[in-house]
Amino acid sequence: MSKNLTALAKRQGIDQTLFQELAIGEDSKSKAQRKALAKELLIGEAVVHGAASFYDFIDGDNANKKAYVCNGSSCLCADTQHNVKAKLTQHFAADDIGHVTCLGRCAQNSAFQINKENYSGNDIENLAEIINADNAKSSEHYYVESNLAQPILTAEINDVAQYYQVFSNAIAQFTVDELLQQITDSGLRGRGGAGFPTGFKWRSCRDVVGDEKYIVCNADEGDAGAYSDRYLLEQRPHAVLFGMLMAGYLSGAETGVLYIRDEYPQAIRTTEAAIAEFEALGLLKGMAFKFSFKIIRGAGAYICGEETALLRSIEGQRPLVSVRPPFPTQSGLFGCPTILNNVETFAPINFILSEGAQQYFALGNGKSTGSKLVSLDSSFAKPGIYEVAMGMPMLDLFAMAGGFSKPLKALHIGGPLGGVVPISALEKLTLDFESFAESGFLLGHASVIGLPEPLSMIDYIEHLFEFTAAESCGKCYPCKLGSVRGQEMVQDAIDGKQLLNRELLDDLLETMQLGSLCALGGGVPLPIQNILQYFADELKPFIAAKKPESEQSTSEQANV
Amino acid sequence: MSNLTADMMTNKVAFLNGVAHNIIADESVLDFSRRLEQNKQYDIPTLCDDNRLDAYGSCRVCSVDIALSADGPRKVMASCHTPIADGMHIFTNSTRVEKLRKNIVELVLSDHPDNCEECPSNNYCELQDVAVATGVREIRFGNAESRGKQSRDTLPEVSKDDAHPYMRMDLSLCIDCNRCVRACDEIQGEQVLSAVGRGFDSRIIKGQDVSFDDSDCVSCGACAQTCPTGAISDVFRANRMADAEKIRTICSYCGVGCNLEVSVKDNKILSIEAPKDAAVNAGHTCLKGRYAWRFYNHPDRLTTPLIRINDELTPVSWARAFEYLAERLLSIKNQHGSDAIAGISSARCTNEENYLLQKMIRVVLGTNNIDCCARVCHSPTAYGMQKSFGTGAATNSIDDIKHTEFIMLIGANPTAAHPVTGAKIKQKVMKGTPLIVIDPVETELARYAQWHIQLRPGTNVAVLNMMAYYIIDEGLVDMSFVDNRTEEYQSYHDAIMALNIDQLADISGVDKALVRDAAMAYAKANNAMSFHGLGVTEHSQGSRAIMCIADLTMLTGNIGRSGVGMNPLRGQNNVQGAADMGCQPHQGAGYFPVDTDENHRYYQEHYKAEMPKEVGYKIPEMFNAALAGDLKALWILGEDVVQTDPNQQHVVASLSNLELLIVQEIFLSETAKMADVVLPGTSFLEKSGTFTNGERRVQKVNAAVTPKVGCKTDGQIIVEMMNALGYQQADYQADTMLEEIAQVVPFFAGITWDNLGENGLQWPVAKNGKDTQILHLESFKRGLGRFHFYPFEESVEIEKNGAAFPYILTTSRNLEHYNCGTMTRRTGNGDIVNEDVLLVNHIDAQEKNITNDSQVRLFSARGEIVLKAQISDKVNQGILFTTFHFPELMINRVTGDVTDKHTKCPEYKVVSVGIEAV
Repeated sequence: MSKNLTALAKRQGIDQTLFQELAIGEDSKSKAQRKALAKELLIGEAVVHGAASFYDFIDGDNANKKAYVCNGSSCLCADTQHNVKAKLTQHFAADDIGHVTCLGRCAQNSAFQINKENYSGNDIENLAEIINADNAKSSEHYYVESNLAQPILTAEINDVAQYYQVFSNAIAQFTVDELLQQITDSGLRGRGGAGFPTGFKWRSCRDVVGDEKYIVCNADEGDAGAYSDRYLLEQRPHAVLFGMLMAGYLSGAETGVLYIRDEYPQAIRTTEAAIAEFEALGLLKGMAFKFSFKIIRGAGAYICGEETALLRSIEGQRPLVSVRPPFPTQSGLFGCPTILNNVETFAPINFILSEGAQQYFALGNGKSTGSKLVSLDSSFAKPGIYEVAMGMPMLDLFAMAGGFSKPLKALHIGGPLGGVVPISALEKLTLDFESFAESGFLLGHASVIGLPEPLSMIDYIEHLFEFTAAESCGKCYPCKLGSVRGQEMVQDAIDGKQLLNRELLDDLLETMQLGSLCALGGGVPLPIQNILQYFADELKPFIAAKKPESEQSTSEQANV
Repeated sequence: MSNLTADMMTNKVAFLNGVAHNIIADESVLDFSRRLEQNKQYDIPTLCDDNRLDAYGSCRVCSVDIALSADGPRKVMASCHTPIADGMHIFTNSTRVEKLRKNIVELVLSDHPDNCEECPSNNYCELQDVAVATGVREIRFGNAESRGKQSRDTLPEVSKDDAHPYMRMDLSLCIDCNRCVRACDEIQGEQVLSAVGRGFDSRIIKGQDVSFDDSDCVSCGACAQTCPTGAISDVFRANRMADAEKIRTICSYCGVGCNLEVSVKDNKILSIEAPKDAAVNAGHTCLKGRYAWRFYNHPDRLTTPLIRINDELTPVSWARAFEYLAERLLSIKNQHGSDAIAGISSARCTNEENYLLQKMIRVVLGTNNIDCCARVCHSPTAYGMQKSFGTGAATNSIDDIKHTEFIMLIGANPTAAHPVTGAKIKQKVMKGTPLIVIDPVETELARYAQWHIQLRPGTNVAVLNMMAYYIIDEGLVDMSFVDNRTEEYQSYHDAIMALNIDQLADISGVDKALVRDAAMAYAKANNAMSFHGLGVTEHSQGSRAIMCIADLTMLTGNIGRSGVGMNPLRGQNNVQGAADMGCQPHQGAGYFPVDTDENHRYYQEHYKAEMPKEVGYKIPEMFNAALAGDLKALWILGEDVVQTDPNQQHVVASLSNLELLIVQEIFLSETAKMADVVLPGTSFLEKSGTFTNGERRVQKVNAAVTPKVGCKTDGQIIVEMMNALGYQQADYQADTMLEEIAQVVPFFAGITWDNLGENGLQWPVAKNGKDTQILHLESFKRGLGRFHFYPFEESVEIEKNGAAFPYILTTSRNLEHYNCGTMTRRTGNGDIVNEDVLLVNHIDAQEKNITNDSQVRLFSARGEIVLKAQISDKVNQGILFTTFHFPELMINRVTGDVTDKHTKCPEYKVVSVGIEAV
């Protein structure tokens, strides 16, 4: 990151960011316009060009296409996209069709986008109608189920005014310190995957002195297979806004920024509408505390789901991962103290404050508490969003969804960087951070993709390396170089050019795991190692016999 | 970070490979390890680290194992961005981190050409060093035929760029450490570099992916200096040789005083870089210091003394030149008296040479007619600050920029004229430090300023008085400072409060609300620092404006501590030193006025000779005296007065009227062409001595090469002249000269050649060698600081010529060239900028039918020139701007005779002119 660019972006403020000028502005297309923009924002032309070139939908190969085919892992595993592409090709020139990694239509697959509308399932069969009609609606369907006596995240919000009354009541009844204590007591941990204690994060932001602070909601749900954040923004936006508002009040921030990925146009629209609804309520009228919301629309870069890359993205810098410390609570958006949480982390705040931290804490195993949304893809009989208590046995959860819809050899749980769990290992897993970690997997954002029996695991490894290579920000060497070299090695093995040198592959995975700056390069070795471990027989034909002289590996076991 | 020092050491300890060491708060694990790196086996290799840049964490080669207790679980972490902590255990060479490093470097090499022998950076390559250090011997990726995908396979043409006069790019060598991008941003603040794309295919770009030539690159070379491989380099890199001698010296362009490291082989200069440990410039410098040095052995160099015989400058021997000069000088002295002789010393020469010239003029020739170019630049600063504070020099150090919370910049364009200081200010301002710019031109820094007060040239006093008015009116005066440390406040207060603010706003053409906001912000800041340049001094009210700035610093108590003060940006490398050494007609070495009994005695005792007691001629008075026939002989050391002094016709007429004009020069300058005797001197690269920069830092100049054959160092020339005149002066040697100076100049008392060390000392230096970063700590040099009120007065130039010549021309320098360009025009800088252009506001251009890049006639009461116009709204309507670097143009044909009322500093900045399309 550049402290200069961060500070210069701060001068402009959230209402005029280089990123949004580039992503949705009309006056930033030509070289001359970008030169003028650079001059106006007091930054180098290279900064403008460098930022624009990073994103798929600004200067990338997928910018300005008429139709987009989803190439996310779920659609890939469901093997629906050849048909989608073929159908689209009947209506669009090949050059006018781009691709997009995961539209969050994993429950139905066959996902594509036309005119900023997403479609899935049978929609592709009505393509002519969709193209010809204005605002043709998708026939999307997915299940939303909960087995909780009192659902938290999936509960309907019938009366918005009453819902926000919880805020007014809470701040009238409790001190900031008491409210923060309630968040802490609830045991809520970040739902983006890392599971960081939310109360602790909010309090540390509160404790940092700063004239400006920000609340940022990470709605860049890029993990293929995950669509629970999309669900919340499309169906329960006020739950998210409420959590952000409360975070603002408790930390002293006056601005809440929602970074929503461009692949979720409906989520952007419903959130915009919810913000208008919130403003119309006039909840804060007459109060010293002010709070406003701002939506920042993504532009197609998976890495922006990484918190520091997301912040740099908003600031108009190239969204490369920044070193930590400083953590966002110390120096986040525009260098100001910032609370950055996932969509789902904000959503239960209303419940915690209205029903009590104990009610929330009572769900779960004491370490992972509350409820969790799980995204199940089309490999389940009843695919959809399931809200269950933390700690629930995974097999019970899957039973709720009617079991598998087809023969599966494994599940990929927790996004591309989550573990690949063989069916045999499911029995001992419960839905919490601890159980997954102990078994050598990762709960992550709790998305579940079924890997069907016919899927070739060497192909899936190649897919994981390819995804990482395509989405690597390119900053740290292990990820930037390792993902490409890994993909090449695997591709060569698939093509029969050269068998995999297992020692080299192990070295490469270790290098990425230990050396990478963020969870992308550091995380992708996990599912690959899972596959190497659990599907060794299937992979055997692709792996070279060990050379005798290199048998003695000198590697020291990670002692963590 | 490099600015961590031992005095920040804590009682806490961390363990490096099992051994406990005290830690410094906030240092990184890498800093900590490097600090304790006496034992080289713990050396942590890095590729993306440059300790002047923020930790970046891209290469990961600096990874170490870290545990929170000796036997606790270990975690691999990048040492460059992991802060050290109490009780931390660091293992720099565990098996797994050594393996990790090796594997990372193997990955890097898998995407790098393997033909080191053909690479211009062979043996100057950090990647090579790190590959050796980590023990990479084979690259296991890919098969025999191809080594897999190469990011360089898809490089566009622009990534191999060799069209620029200095800068070079070859991205096939790039390892994407982004040090160049970060140096361009974090050191120079230009952001010319970034990267395009993402992941494996991302690559470095300039501007919107154009060549160096087409980009906004300022050729500072920071990227080339930090590049670990030579992907970005410069035309000199290939010259470098492992066995070249490195000589540290000081740049002879502006007053920043950058340290330079000159690589020399066989008495030839190969390249110049900036030493990273330099206090002044920490590895940075500008395109003048780094690249504009090839004038030193340019074929135009003078190589023999010349005497005008039959109206032709004719080569003679040194012996004949001195014999001739002794005869002529003594004859003039005998016939017309000592005061018929004068000298102009050179701010480009060393302290020792300046000291010698004033000594020759005063002690040997017996007159106080000695002056230097400070006259035409910062003499008002010296005068005004002496009046207000007692010392005519910067109150603080450039390093204080780090600590200040507010900057006010008046009449200066440091990103062009003082690039390293300019870059430091820009860094600070980009990060949010508020800035006031008072300048008629929209300078680079004005773009970043919260308040740009774009006043009419010549109205500084009006605006500064307005500021004082608002500070007083808003009750923002630091009364405890005013009461305890100053005098004459009440009368000043009354005069200021009686001003008609609306009238002053009208006169200066500024928005009074803007001035009010700026004044209030300045007064409210905890620590505000002011900088000023020739835009303040080169005016008829130059000295008065200086005193007005001093008034503001005293009103707000911004004096006597870190991060505050009043700081002139001295224009030339040693203009501070030239005045310190007594090259002024009214004060001798050490600033003692020559005309009091006490001082007269002081100097006579020191020099053991008869001394003149009358104040001598200032430079403009020398010209007048020459024209009047009172001055007969003028000795000019390294100063091209014909090109640089105002009203060129007048200067030429004056010099023509002399009986004897002696010019010591390295090139046949416009002035040298008129001389009766020309003596070939040497450039800074061929001599030793000291320069004093704008923050009073006396630094060692070390000869990198021997004087060009036929030339002598300027100091030696003066010594031999003194000897020829019958005065015994020992040969020029930096150390012994400095010893003599230290006995005369009190603030040099503790300076010796040896104790100056690498980074010099800031005067005053006490006998015990202790130097001074900040002046006027407890009390002012003169006791109490003195307020001065002066009302605004219109320049005579405007009053006399304003009606007939309704535009105002103001002049300054650009980044690429230095003053009359004697040196820079003879380097690649001339390929970057090769002419002076006139900036014209678009409304004026329209009215006068002037189009972009067309020729225009610029004329004044003195003369006229024709030059190229550029339409630019960097200047307001009615204001014109140009530079004065090219003798082809001679901008000083149009400048005038008006001078500062107190110091006779010429008013270059306000010239009434007319303009028309040609």
